[in-house]
Amino acid sequence: MSGATLTRLALAGNRTDAARVALTALSALLATLAGLAAMTVLAIEKPPGDEWAQSEQYTNALLREPGLRGGTAFALVLLAVPVLALAGQSARLGAPGRDRRLAALRLAGATPGQVTRVAMLETGLAALVGTLVGLAVYLGGRELLHRPDANGQLALPTDVLPTVPAMAAVTLGLPVLAAASTALLLRRVATTPLGVFRRAGRTRSPRPWPALLIGIGVLAAALAEPLRQALEGVGTDWIAILFTLGLFAAVMGVVLGTGWLSYAAGWLLHRFARGPATLLAARRLTGDPWSSSRTFAALLASVLIGGGAAAFRAYFQLGQRIEQEENQAAGFGGFVGDGRSFYLNTMDLIDLAVLVAVAIATAGLLVTLVEGIVSRRRAYAALVATGVPRATVGTSILIQVLAPVVPAVLLAVGVGYSIGRVFTGDVTSGGYTQEVCRASVELCQDPATRTQHVEFAVIERVIRTPDVPLEQLALVGGGALLAVLVTVGLGVLFLRANTALEELRTT
Amino acid sequence: MNSGLVSTPHLLLGLLATGTMHGYELKRAHDTRLPQARPLAFGQVYATLGRLLRDGLVASTGPERLAGPDRTTYTLTEQGRATLDQWLSSIEPPMPYVSSPLFAKVVVALLVADVDRARAYLVAQRRAHTERLRELTALKTAPSATVDDIVAADYAIAHLDADLRWLHTTLDRVADWHREVHS
Amino acid sequence: MTQLQARGLVKSYGPTPALRGITLDIGPGEIVAVTGPSGCGKSTLLHCLAGILRPDAGEVSWRGHRLDTWSEAARSRLRRTEFGVLFQFGQLVAELTAAENVALPLLLAGTGRRAARTAALTWLERLGVAECADVRPGEMSGGQQQRCATARALVTEPRVLFADEPTGALDTLTGEQVLTQLVRLAREQHTSVVLVTHEPRIAAYADREVVLRDGVIDHTGLGLDAPLAGGSR
Repeated sequence: MSGATLTRLALAGNRTDAARVALTALSALLATLAGLAAMTVLAIEKPPGDEWAQSEQYTNALLREPGLRGGTAFALVLLAVPVLALAGQSARLGAPGRDRRLAALRLAGATPGQVTRVAMLETGLAALVGTLVGLAVYLGGRELLHRPDANGQLALPTDVLPTVPAMAAVTLGLPVLAAASTALLLRRVATTPLGVFRRAGRTRSPRPWPALLIGIGVLAAALAEPLRQALEGVGTDWIAILFTLGLFAAVMGVVLGTGWLSYAAGWLLHRFARGPATLLAARRLTGDPWSSSRTFAALLASVLIGGGAAAFRAYFQLGQRIEQEENQAAGFGGFVGDGRSFYLNTMDLIDLAVLVAVAIATAGLLVTLVEGIVSRRRAYAALVATGVPRATVGTSILIQVLAPVVPAVLLAVGVGYSIGRVFTGDVTSGGYTQEVCRASVELCQDPATRTQHVEFAVIERVIRTPDVPLEQLALVGGGALLAVLVTVGLGVLFLRANTALEELRTT
Repeated sequence: MNSGLVSTPHLLLGLLATGTMHGYELKRAHDTRLPQARPLAFGQVYATLGRLLRDGLVASTGPERLAGPDRTTYTLTEQGRATLDQWLSSIEPPMPYVSSPLFAKVVVALLVADVDRARAYLVAQRRAHTERLRELTALKTAPSATVDDIVAADYAIAHLDADLRWLHTTLDRVADWHREVHS
Repeated sequence: MTQLQARGLVKSYGPTPALRGITLDIGPGEIVAVTGPSGCGKSTLLHCLAGILRPDAGEVSWRGHRLDTWSEAARSRLRRTEFGVLFQFGQLVAELTAAENVALPLLLAGTGRRAARTAALTWLERLGVAECADVRPGEMSGGQQQRCATARALVTEPRVLFADEPTGALDTLTGEQVLTQLVRLAREQHTSVVLVTHEPRIAAYADREVVLRDGVIDHTGLGLDAPLAGGSR
């Protein structure tokens, strides 16, 4: 097949295909912006000087302080995760139509390889358009936003640029990644001339093995700090990699575990619940338990990180409080710094990233949910025609979504918090001797009077455990569930249009 | 329905292939096996048997001639079996001539009759066909129906169904043709 | 006595008229075939009679009550208690087993799980597909699926069964077997049947035939209400 033919076939398609291509391109655009922004932050050179020397050309502390830049870049990269998940979910948009088109190509004599290439090219081209526009937006935005203020300081790092290979890697790498993942997804289906069939494989019911992955994740986080202390010589980089891998394992564990949760929830519902709505939901859950995993992957990842962030915040808050108490105990009551450690500033940023991630994941959820309803519209319309109230169908969808997602979100919050908690550990204070000022600060600081008023006191070693930040954890979990609830509500609105009885007219 | 008449001699040879029978039993076997067929008269059965006997295709094994023809039993001979096999292995020419009275009548009605007469005929013919179709369907779906009944009814239903479809298509086709010519 | 009555039904899809004034009575236990060429309004008439669609004009009465003015909820209730609906294909819920599919209308009516399952098994047995009870539709043949759908339509012992080309997706023999069972069971229960089909052979299962053409009833059955075209040939 010539390149031109291939391109022509890749660009053929109806309005749903156009919507999918547009969403793919948009996701690629957003991911490019996030990636390039993260790389720009990392491209800021550390000024000469000690560890704390700041890049004075920026107004923003997040960019100025070298200690914060890692977190800033991490938060930006974090944003790319739900964006990519959105891309994955929008890939399923209009899938039945595309499957029919691919089957028609096979019927016309195309080989399976050619069909895969057509699909890859469609995704790849869409992503390339997205990344190119993203690059243009980035470069254009850089010029527009390069506005030094009166002090010559910049709000954004518009004075540095990632290396050209790095930019090329993002711009070209994302489309290649998108095309490769399409090929990978198509490996799981067989495109025959008569239609696209999912290869049988995941027919066995899910088992609770993903719990092991979660255990590994928590263990890796728990071992990180002791390992760092034990292997003083080893670079912290390795510890960071261990931690990241652990985090990844935990996310995968939660996402895959959702399959088992769905299955178990479906089984329990089927066993104990009555009523047709529950029955429909239960059978759908046991019938395809992995669909919940696919649908909620991005959301659960965001929630897990949100739970971890809550643990970190609790740790830093406790640290700050102890510092203040120590200051007060030492008589420096007046000095409390700017009231917030810069760690807490980074935490604000990560929380913001989690919030945006949940929002994007929710958008992806809506896409998947509506797609699911649309693809079942004939069955739903037939049910309504036989007198099943739309409310029953709506309720069944609600139960089907909520039954696995409630335990899954709780699990994600719990695992995230556990990882954060075991990684940060307890806050240790005291265990040293300290000068204590028994008079006014002036008297203590005057070398003449100093010895009379300053005493040495042994501060006892105290290990304090950060409180469980119930409020914030509830906020993360509840927020995610609320988002799901709103999404299902919106999805069910589509039900009315899709159970219109015109769907039943003989096909 | 299909062309031609059923070959009664071959039919009787076929029925005799299942075993020796009296003339009376042969007539009964015919009526059960072919329930919707044109009824076969006793006279016709005996006349045909006589000819078959003459040609050596069947043999009469009835010992007591005095007891009358009803006592005579008939058996298929070797020659008779050969003739039957030959008949069975020769294919029926699929509709060599379109020679159904229905076909002829509809064509003539459309051709020569005045509009009202043609309409009246067609409507009545359709009604008759539909009623017969319903009758046969009732017969076939009755709990007491045997396989022989169902097979025979199926054959008739398929042909009536074909007639009705043809009638509908023809009228639609003529209407289309008419519309084209007059528009 | 009539139990389902239609008076002057008119229904359009956008500018296209589907029904242009249909008047029809269906008595208790009566089996009526609605036939006609494609696009004549057969399915639309069935949907209006079953309360699935509301006519633009005219009225549908169920035992003397105007059905077309009822709310969607009330019509839904009627459809799942007094009516049964059967389509060409695709009405079974893919995720539910045959027994659960058949039990669904009973569950909706508030019957307990166990009682509903027992009734469903009885009906599957009656339609000769007892072996499919715990099988999902995807793993059944077309004939088995349609038998299950028939069982589901009849399980509530409805007063009227609406069947839209119920054998359309089946081969001749299977279609006949399904239809024979359907008609036999309907007669046993004294259920009226509205049978939409375009095949004379299938319409012959009914007591009476109503032919539609271009949205009106064609009393000649041959579209001869319009001037007979062939006379001058």
